Amino acid sequence: MRNRFDEQLEQLNVELIKTGALCEDAISTTAKALIDNDRELARRVKPIEREIDQKERDIESLCMKLLLQQQPVARDLRQISSALKMISDLERIGDQASDIAEILPYLQGSVSESKLHIKEMAQATIKMVTDSIESFVRRDLPLARSVVEYDNVVDGLFNKVKTELIRLISEDSNNGEFCIDLLMVAKYFERIGDHAVNVAEWVQYSLTGRKGSLLADADDIPWTEDMA
Amino acid sequence: MRKKIFKSMCLTALLTILLSSLLITVVYYGDFESRMKSEVRAETDYIKSAVELSGAGYLSGLPDSQNRVTLIDETGRVLYDSYADPSTMENHRDRPEVQKAQTGGAGEDTRTSDTLSKQTFYYAVKLADGQVLRVASTTDTVLAAILGLLPWILGAALLVAAVTSVFSSFLTRKIVEPINRLDLEHPADNMAYDEMAPLLAKINRQNEVISRQMRSLKEKQEEFTSITENMSEGFLVLDQNTDILSYNTSALRLLGAVDLSPSEIHASALTLNRSTGFRKAVDTALKGTRSEQVLHLDSRCCQVMANPVLRDGKVMGAVVVILDITEREERENLRREFTANVSHELKTPLTSISGFAEIIQNGIVKQEDIPRFAGNIYLESQRLISLVDDILNLSRLDEGEVPLKWEAINLLALAEDVAARLKSTAKKNGVVLTVSGERTEISGVRSIVDEMVYNLCDNAVKYNRKNGRISIAVQKTAEGVSLTVADTGIGIPTADLDRVFERFYRVDKSHSKEIGGTGLGLSIVKHGAAYHNARVTLESTEGVGTAVTLIFPNIPT
Repeated sequence: MRNRFDEQLEQLNVELIKTGALCEDAISTTAKALIDNDRELARRVKPIEREIDQKERDIESLCMKLLLQQQPVARDLRQISSALKMISDLERIGDQASDIAEILPYLQGSVSESKLHIKEMAQATIKMVTDSIESFVRRDLPLARSVVEYDNVVDGLFNKVKTELIRLISEDSNNGEFCIDLLMVAKYFERIGDHAVNVAEWVQYSLTGRKGSLLADADDIPWTEDMA
Repeated sequence: MRKKIFKSMCLTALLTILLSSLLITVVYYGDFESRMKSEVRAETDYIKSAVELSGAGYLSGLPDSQNRVTLIDETGRVLYDSYADPSTMENHRDRPEVQKAQTGGAGEDTRTSDTLSKQTFYYAVKLADGQVLRVASTTDTVLAAILGLLPWILGAALLVAAVTSVFSSFLTRKIVEPINRLDLEHPADNMAYDEMAPLLAKINRQNEVISRQMRSLKEKQEEFTSITENMSEGFLVLDQNTDILSYNTSALRLLGAVDLSPSEIHASALTLNRSTGFRKAVDTALKGTRSEQVLHLDSRCCQVMANPVLRDGKVMGAVVVILDITEREERENLRREFTANVSHELKTPLTSISGFAEIIQNGIVKQEDIPRFAGNIYLESQRLISLVDDILNLSRLDEGEVPLKWEAINLLALAEDVAARLKSTAKKNGVVLTVSGERTEISGVRSIVDEMVYNLCDNAVKYNRKNGRISIAVQKTAEGVSLTVADTGIGIPTADLDRVFERFYRVDKSHSKEIGGTGLGLSIVKHGAAYHNARVTLESTEGVGTAVTLIFPNIPT
């Protein structure tokens, strides 16, 4: 027979899955709006982000309630504390997706025509977010590890996009604003990737009790020689 | 139970030993006391006769006796006492035994010492000279006797307790063992205590009821599972918290979650799929409203229908049914495309007809031009007629209810017939038609097979080059009777090979009007072949030519 505590834990799990799914929605909507240059679609990201914020508050209070009333130990405590950490990363993913969507209407140019690798970057970031949430849902440790590994791909793409943007500016300085905006977009994608890594690491922590050591590296901004 | 039995046994034993010790002491004491009294009386009588015989001097010659001997004169003064000096003793006239002796000849009394631990029995007799002889014997009181015996009693009690506890625990085990050994699965087989029989019988009956109910429940469950498992539709039952209560494998397959382990399946339904549509459907249903959503999962398309489960007006959960509507969507698309095509194809000749007729009606056309315009109208209406014919043929094949009779058809003769009909057109296009092969028969509907072969040959003529060749070959193969129409025409680009059998599909859309035709020819061939269980293969190289082969099944002999 399941007691109240188990029910609340399951509820926490469901709420986290819902928030994760909302994050997936937010970033995939943003990416589609970016690639298709669809401003109408970009406007739909903000409501999703608000919903994610609401979920963050709900989950936080649920976690606090569980911690205070049930005083969990061992794995339950890990699950709740990692939920608390995970939700703030998820909330950041939502925020940054919304930040990208806010830039989109002011982009002076089409991303799909520019032949930049930003589309690949968006897809890679979506994959990271999806996989990190999938690893949480399925309690899939290898998948969580692969998300941490995959951050290198996004970082690599960020550098590539940056180099492309530099070239674009040097070719024609009129591209300046477009390029700077896109650099921001790329940076946001890169940050989203880092938050996905964090989520995956919290999944790892809640499953094994050990926190991956790659978190610090993931936070580093991958500056390359040409920018140094 | 064991503890209780053990305790009661020990307690009983202890009580027994204590009570019996006390009773024995009391009884024994009573006996001892009466014997003591009679001894004292006997001694008194003995001393009395001795004193009466030999005077008071006898008393001083008495051996040291345990009993105190006192001689008292009529006034109560003590003349002799074996314990104390008579001069120090007080007057004894008031003593009850002395008074009784003086009045009645003999008297006795029992007095307890101040500490209550000792009691003294006095017996007095009146001597012949009026003096009183008294003998006293001091003994322990009953209480003192009991107190004195108490250590012994307690020692005995302890010993008994030790022995009893060992014995009791053994006995308790013995008593409880059959109860512990009861086989509650088969209560009727137990040979324990008779007192347990009603209980066992009741358990037996209830066991039977339970197992019967379990069986019927299991049967129902199995029935339900086999029904849901054989459904190609996905089926999920959820509780208010979106946790899965029941599911079938189709649901997992459709939601793309085939590789889940059973432990994960009894979790939230959102672990199976968390796409916006699915979430929305489940959430809406759990709020008490029916919801339908279409999910696009990878290459498939699913319709999710979620219904709330209500009990007393409260939502208890949701039932989710998932349909695979990929094919339906595809068919829907094809149908939409077909409708659009048909309207377009029908409209083109009609527009021309209406245009020509309008000009004639307005009298703009010169008299001598009217035959040419009428000719155009005629040609367009002919095209319209053949289009409508084709569509009718196709829909008849689609419906599968062609009211034509099956017969044996000589395929070579039919091919020659078609070739003859197309000879003039071929000649006009500068194309040579040859027919070769064996005379073999197939079973089929003549008009449809004719239509199929005609369409193939017609295409071969239309899409041929100047001075091209067309060869029709009929052959008997192991698989069946094959008819190949090969041309040296323009061929079909590889990209279009898959689509040429679709209705109204034209490879070269820009020139379709000049060439003529309805775009339904190969579609008719395909449907006709399906009607005859025949196979169609198409090989084509762009710029070199096309070969279409129909393989009809052999007539069963």
